Amino acid sequence: MPDLKIKGITIVETFAEAFPMVGTRIIITAPTMEWALISARTMTGFATSVIACGAEAGIERTLSRKETPDGRPGVAVLLFTMDADKLQKQLRNRVGQCVLTSPGSACFAGLEGEKRLKLGAPLRFFGDGWQMSKVLGGKRYWRIPVMGGEFLCEDTTGMTKKAVGGGNLLVLGKSHESVLAACTRAVKAMAELPGVITPFPGGIVRSGSKVGSKYKGQIASTNDAYSPGLKGAVNSALPLDVEAVLEIVIDGLTADAIHTAMHAGIHAIAKGGSRTGVTHISAGNYGGNLGPHHFHLKEIVG
Amino acid sequence: MSALVFEMKDTPDQRLDLSPLVPERLNGLSRKDIQAIEIGTTRETLTVGDAFKVKGKNAQEIHFDGTDERCDKIGAKLAGGEIFVDGDVGSQLGARMTDGKIEVKGSAGVLAGASMTGGHVAIRRDAGDQAAGPAFGETMGMKGGFLTIGGDTGALLGERMRRGLVVVGGKAGDYAGGRMIAGTLVLRGGAGRYAGYGLRRGSLIFTEKPKDILPTFSDSGVMEFDYLLLLEKWLRGTGMRIKLGGRARRLMGDMAVLGKGEMLILA
Repeated sequence: MPDLKIKGITIVETFAEAFPMVGTRIIITAPTMEWALISARTMTGFATSVIACGAEAGIERTLSRKETPDGRPGVAVLLFTMDADKLQKQLRNRVGQCVLTSPGSACFAGLEGEKRLKLGAPLRFFGDGWQMSKVLGGKRYWRIPVMGGEFLCEDTTGMTKKAVGGGNLLVLGKSHESVLAACTRAVKAMAELPGVITPFPGGIVRSGSKVGSKYKGQIASTNDAYSPGLKGAVNSALPLDVEAVLEIVIDGLTADAIHTAMHAGIHAIAKGGSRTGVTHISAGNYGGNLGPHHFHLKEIVG
Repeated sequence: MSALVFEMKDTPDQRLDLSPLVPERLNGLSRKDIQAIEIGTTRETLTVGDAFKVKGKNAQEIHFDGTDERCDKIGAKLAGGEIFVDGDVGSQLGARMTDGKIEVKGSAGVLAGASMTGGHVAIRRDAGDQAAGPAFGETMGMKGGFLTIGGDTGALLGERMRRGLVVVGGKAGDYAGGRMIAGTLVLRGGAGRYAGYGLRRGSLIFTEKPKDILPTFSDSGVMEFDYLLLLEKWLRGTGMRIKLGGRARRLMGDMAVLGKGEMLILA
């Protein structure tokens, strides 16, 4: 069977293997969009991979005044971990250290979800007895007096157990420049979609990993099959003319959201065709035995 | 299915206890059964059929037409459904209600929304004393839900209130927020004397500076409150356009008691 191609770029017949995660969404507002983004970027900093960051997080999208509970500019943030306890801890620490501290910020629930996570509930104690609770339309909010005025924070937010982490695309090309440009296009296209984030720097990973290592205690190590410099030494997955491979990792609140994001990503990468220097679009998996979610590129393109 | 309508025949010679006429009690009852319900409050037996012409079927939507200030306890302990009243109502409108909606085109007597815990009561005109206050035998006033009063209120609005939101379009009487435990009063037409007397926690939000401020409230000055923006937007979602803005002067009190309450006077 001939390979599937889009504009001369080969879509490798493989699949992205993804894992169940727990996820939540919160809304951060501020007096200006600039400060809402500063708060959100700080809160989602150092959250590329659960391997060592504790959580995977990112900005889902910006929100207009019409979309936020307090009518100020806002940002929707997604946060993912492997289990509910870790998510609770990460949420408390990140909102407490990065949103509470951010000038003029307020924080609201962004998800209904099947379970509730504490959002303002633990942070209210920062008020040292001067915090005030307000219930509006069945939702509890905390008003915590701070030096900048008052920090307003919803009591709880929703959590979903149907989140999926590790949706991915591998982009192979004849130059680093072409692969980076293609991935940047793809991240931009995915950024507009609801329910997904690309947690790595600028949405792109340059050091995809495999499980395990020759060194004891090293749980992940370089993906040698996709490292162009090792083509001559290992059982490489790369053709000789591939100079660079970059990966886009996608976390989503649902498997459908990831499916949609991968579709948009593939088409954004393939936009300029093979003339841009991109040769293949592939995906990472572990043989299909580890993760229950398999996103077959062929089905996504179709 | 058309709404269940109770049309007042003529003014009965006693006060009426209309607490049985709520969806929960009337669901599935035949018109005959409904007409046989006793609503009198004296030794003279008085039934629904004596006082009202009953029409329609849907007990989830109840209409009262032509009621007056002697029709007590309309929607008391309401747990769901809707009640519309074309006329005035007596005491204890929606007292102890937990959910649902009550709309009154006229004025309400004393204890409107007393000890209610949920739902929405909307009174187009005035309300009597102790609106959102404690129902008979209760230690606390309103404990949740939403009460709107288009006109003025009597004394002791929100007395011993624990939670919930009250919006008053007109002027509140003396002792508004008296002995309030927590909750929120939005006062658009000011209040009489002694507003916030004995206020423990809770907020009295004045859209205009009140005439008299108790000396036991101490000034924290003007600052920005994101909460007011949230409240403004939430109210807009319920159809009420009230400009709150984000800035207000905060007075904390009542310092004669706990002193963790506040007056927010829009700046």
